[in-house]
Amino acid sequence: MDEIATDSRIGQPVRRKEDERLLTGKGCFSDDVNLPEQAYAVFVRSPHAHARIRSIDARAARAIAGVLAVLTGEELLADGLKPLPHVPFSMHPAEIRLANRDGTPLFSAPHYPLACDKVRFVGEALAVVVAASVAIAKDGAEQVAVDYEVLPAVVDTLAAAEPDAPRIWEHATSNVCLDADAGDRAATEAAFARAVHVVRFSTQVNRVTGVTMEPRAAVAQYDAARQRYTLYAGSGGAVRLKDDLATVLDIPAAQVRAVMRDIGGNFGTRGMIYPEFCVVAWAARRVGRPVKWTCERQEAFLADYQARDLAVQAELALDAQGNFLALRSSNVGNAGAHPTNFSPLQKGVEIMSSIYRMPCAFVRARAVLSNTSPTRPYRSAGRPEVMYVLERLIDLAARECDFDRIALRERNLLRQAELPYTNPFGMVYDSGDYHGAMAKALELGDWAGFPARREQARRRGKYRGIGVANYVDTASGVPRERAEISVHPQGRVSVVVGTVSNGQGHETSFAQLVNEWLGVALERVDIIAGDTDIVKVGGGTHSGRGMRLISIVVLNASRQIIDKGKRIAARLLESDPSRVRFDAGRFEVAEGGRAVTLFEVAAAAERLGDLPEDLRGPLTAFSDETVKEASFPYGAHVCEVEIDPELGAVEIVRYAAVDDAGRAVNPMIIHGQTHGGIVQGVGQALYENCYYDPRSGQLLAGSFMDYTMPRADHFPPFDTHISEVPSTTHPLGMRPAGEGGTTPALAVVINAIVDALAELGVRHVEMPATPERIWRAMRAAAGTASGNSSTPMPQAQ
Amino acid sequence: MYDFEYRRVGSIAEAQAALAGGSSSKLLAGGMSLLPVLKQRLARYDGIVDLGGIATLRGIHRDNADLVIGAMTTHATVAASALVAQSIPALAALAAGIGDPQVRNRGTLGGSVANADPAADYPAALLALDARIVTQRRVIAAEVFFRGLFETALEPGEIIQAVHFTLPQRAGYAKLRQSASRFALVGVFVTRTHAGVRVAVTGARDSVFRWREAEAALAADFRPAALARLALPSSGLNADIHASAEYRAHCVQIMAQRALAAALEPPS
Ligand SMILES: Cc1cc2nc3c(=O)[nH]c(=O)nc-3n(C[C@H](O)[C@H](O)[C@H](O)COP(=O)(O)OP(=O)(O)OC[C@H]3O[C@@H](n4cnc5c(N)ncnc54)[C@H](O)[C@@H]3O)c2cc1C
Repeated sequence: MDEIATDSRIGQPVRRKEDERLLTGKGCFSDDVNLPEQAYAVFVRSPHAHARIRSIDARAARAIAGVLAVLTGEELLADGLKPLPHVPFSMHPAEIRLANRDGTPLFSAPHYPLACDKVRFVGEALAVVVAASVAIAKDGAEQVAVDYEVLPAVVDTLAAAEPDAPRIWEHATSNVCLDADAGDRAATEAAFARAVHVVRFSTQVNRVTGVTMEPRAAVAQYDAARQRYTLYAGSGGAVRLKDDLATVLDIPAAQVRAVMRDIGGNFGTRGMIYPEFCVVAWAARRVGRPVKWTCERQEAFLADYQARDLAVQAELALDAQGNFLALRSSNVGNAGAHPTNFSPLQKGVEIMSSIYRMPCAFVRARAVLSNTSPTRPYRSAGRPEVMYVLERLIDLAARECDFDRIALRERNLLRQAELPYTNPFGMVYDSGDYHGAMAKALELGDWAGFPARREQARRRGKYRGIGVANYVDTASGVPRERAEISVHPQGRVSVVVGTVSNGQGHETSFAQLVNEWLGVALERVDIIAGDTDIVKVGGGTHSGRGMRLISIVVLNASRQIIDKGKRIAARLLESDPSRVRFDAGRFEVAEGGRAVTLFEVAAAAERLGDLPEDLRGPLTAFSDETVKEASFPYGAHVCEVEIDPELGAVEIVRYAAVDDAGRAVNPMIIHGQTHGGIVQGVGQALYENCYYDPRSGQLLAGSFMDYTMPRADHFPPFDTHISEVPSTTHPLGMRPAGEGGTTPALAVVINAIVDALAELGVRHVEMPATPERIWRAMRAAAGTASGNSSTPMPQAQ
Repeated sequence: MYDFEYRRVGSIAEAQAALAGGSSSKLLAGGMSLLPVLKQRLARYDGIVDLGGIATLRGIHRDNADLVIGAMTTHATVAASALVAQSIPALAALAAGIGDPQVRNRGTLGGSVANADPAADYPAALLALDARIVTQRRVIAAEVFFRGLFETALEPGEIIQAVHFTLPQRAGYAKLRQSASRFALVGVFVTRTHAGVRVAVTGARDSVFRWREAEAALAADFRPAALARLALPSSGLNADIHASAEYRAHCVQIMAQRALAAALEPPS
């Protein structure tokens, strides 16, 4: 990008204020917090995927010099700790609810911070050793003798749903813990009955994990005199963490303070309270010293919440012209060992028809428990999976029913005039130019020039393919957010918000709002978000709610500051408030040109004792809003790949993206978000896989030596474009821009791979599309086509 | 990591003395393989003897027909060495393809050879180039050095000082990387010397091995076509989450062809 910011207002690609601090090691992440006298926690984790805990003998561990405590589930229950307060669904008013088809209440099971009766996945914590050093705590952990009764385990999604599968929770009738219907079954059946074409697609969307650059860490302190806990730990937001910790500790929320400064990645897998955070706080009280825990990378692979893992069987019905008639699907999400969060399933179902005209649809949505780490929303929860399914179905329909891929999409893509549009699940898409986004992506990706590039590739002995995918996201999340703006006479403005940055650049983009509305230089704006002694309300960073909600409350609060300021300025300027105008940080009286600055006004407010009561004192204002509208970011991506016909290795050679942000506050940050999002999506499509051994339930991809991360040298330069069609449901026209990179990436990569191999008769390649999988697909196709199994070479023409 | 006593020694004699004590001690070179094992508490030693202070273990020189590389020479040094590039360019290319820059700046030839990781790159070069491993006690031919999974002919207390490589007429290495670790999913080193053709394969079994059928075919006709009809049987090959035995067998054949193509490239 060669754009250079000319000022710091909305729309400018301002360089991120926080980067110098973060890049020069001056950030303050959770592990950077150290408290006097702190002790260290190390967790005893299950080596088994499924086992009953017969007994735990901690005597040898307790006898080690320097070990301060060994705590198990028994002590935890005796001390009255409560299970983690999971909220299984997004409760946003704009979203659909999933309920059991037979009317039974939602299954629940207590998720205690330490396993009490059984361990249900490899790596589940069942005891903690607190000691004077990490090394001593590790010595202690090795000495904790656990008598396990090993039980049969199940990790695979569909296998776990079988009635005779090993039962994760005994009080359940099966591992299927949610079985819901969505859509109109009868209408869908009828539409399928009269369809001319039906295409079918089954897939297992691979399980991945968030792999935050900064592993989790927590330091907790208990102030016995004030009976108050302080927890320093990175998460999606401080307020939620405080409330949840209080719930687990079974104390009033006022007795907890949560603090977080810099956070090296969240992506959703880190968005919730974790068992270890609760244990560290509890242990701090038990040992009477601050307790610190820093997650090691292998521990993170085992015990971080994981994501995706969805088995889908879907069908698309079309008429003779290619009009979509109906969508029918069975979606089975793997919840892992604890029923913590079904919102990826919910969010996937409710927009499974994407931004196409789909007269009716029906989905059976199930969640299944298994002996794996619990799953949670992860960057664009639930949507990349279903966009992948639908966009694969469309490509398959084009291939199998002889339609052009682009024409088929254009025919069914909703037109601007059809919006707002209620999709077959009841979601209302507000606004957008879907055709424009796809056209622009095809232009950027030079769809028209592809045949020539394919020919060139052929001459080099490579298969080349191109794919396109449209997408829509649902941005919802916790609807309430608050901002409090204070103007300090010393020349600074502080903005207290309830949504911390996990790396998205809030310190810059939120400050740009203040620059726009209050005319205050970026360097003078302090965004305060991560301390519940200051921040009282706020939903945290998730579901594209940061800028979307913060912009609303900051605008409201800014307006109040200006209104108050005008009245004070009128006093100072001996004029009438109605004649004072505010511009670029100055209040001025039009006729005389006399002016006072915002900071002079703030000083006057504190100094002048005879101001009306509502103006006297610090110049502050707050706005607290509950925003009931969801937002629907959308866009289209185009990807081009080359495949080595001998090895099956795939290389991404071009990637173009169009993502609509409605109104871009900082286009540079948005481009960065898109780049990172694409990489995470491609990571899932090509490389990442939390591979659990189906028999033992062991996590075999438990380190960077086995879990493949996407790397810079896997990618060409990206061609990303921000579209700005104002949203009709946001007062400033904004749409979230943090997840768009990921949402269509799975679909577009697999579509491109299959396109490259289409001439061989390859119909599909599962994710991650490893070289071996591609090689096997080529061989199988060649085997069916010609009866021999040697790898075919592309034919030079 | 468990506690241990750390000693940095200045000579082979000192290292020997440090190892000879009654307690269990381990040599430390670049630490790229040893330290992760220690950090994860997968091994426990009373003493760690750091070879980093022995200057004579570092360096690259020519000794008549041999290229001699000191055990403590890092992968990055080998990759950047003009002498290696001139003598055995395939070896420089191999070193340049190990791991990532951090690993290449710390990891050493001696450490890699002593460690005998089944997916390491150097063992293929040593076997194909008929290298000799020089210790303070003897000279061991590569052919008998690599014995199995992380197993070598080294005796307790034996320290690799250098490796002698015979200069080949032609040599080429081709590696298919395991996507996560970047070790060899399979790697094939092809050489032609006055003594004949060698094809050494790493990553595919518990230890590096020679693919005799390919050697025979190439001895008759040192061209890619000679390999086209060969297939390595998949039985006994490694199978893991990254690749099946069948795919590995296929890749060995492809990598052998690519290594040969590299060997046939005119020197640049
Ligand atoms: C992320 C990563 C990626 C890697 N990728 C690759 C790759 O692509 N290809 C590859 O080949 N390797 C790879 N490696 C391994 C790397 O090359 C190591 O450096 C090498 O295997 C060990 O060398 P070292 O000098 O670090 O030895 P150390 O770790 O210090 O020691 C390894 C072992 O050798 C013994 N030892 C060391 N020196 C001597 C000596 N002179 N005499 C006798 N015994 C000795 C030690 O006691 C120890 O048992 C990778 C490693 C990492 C961490």
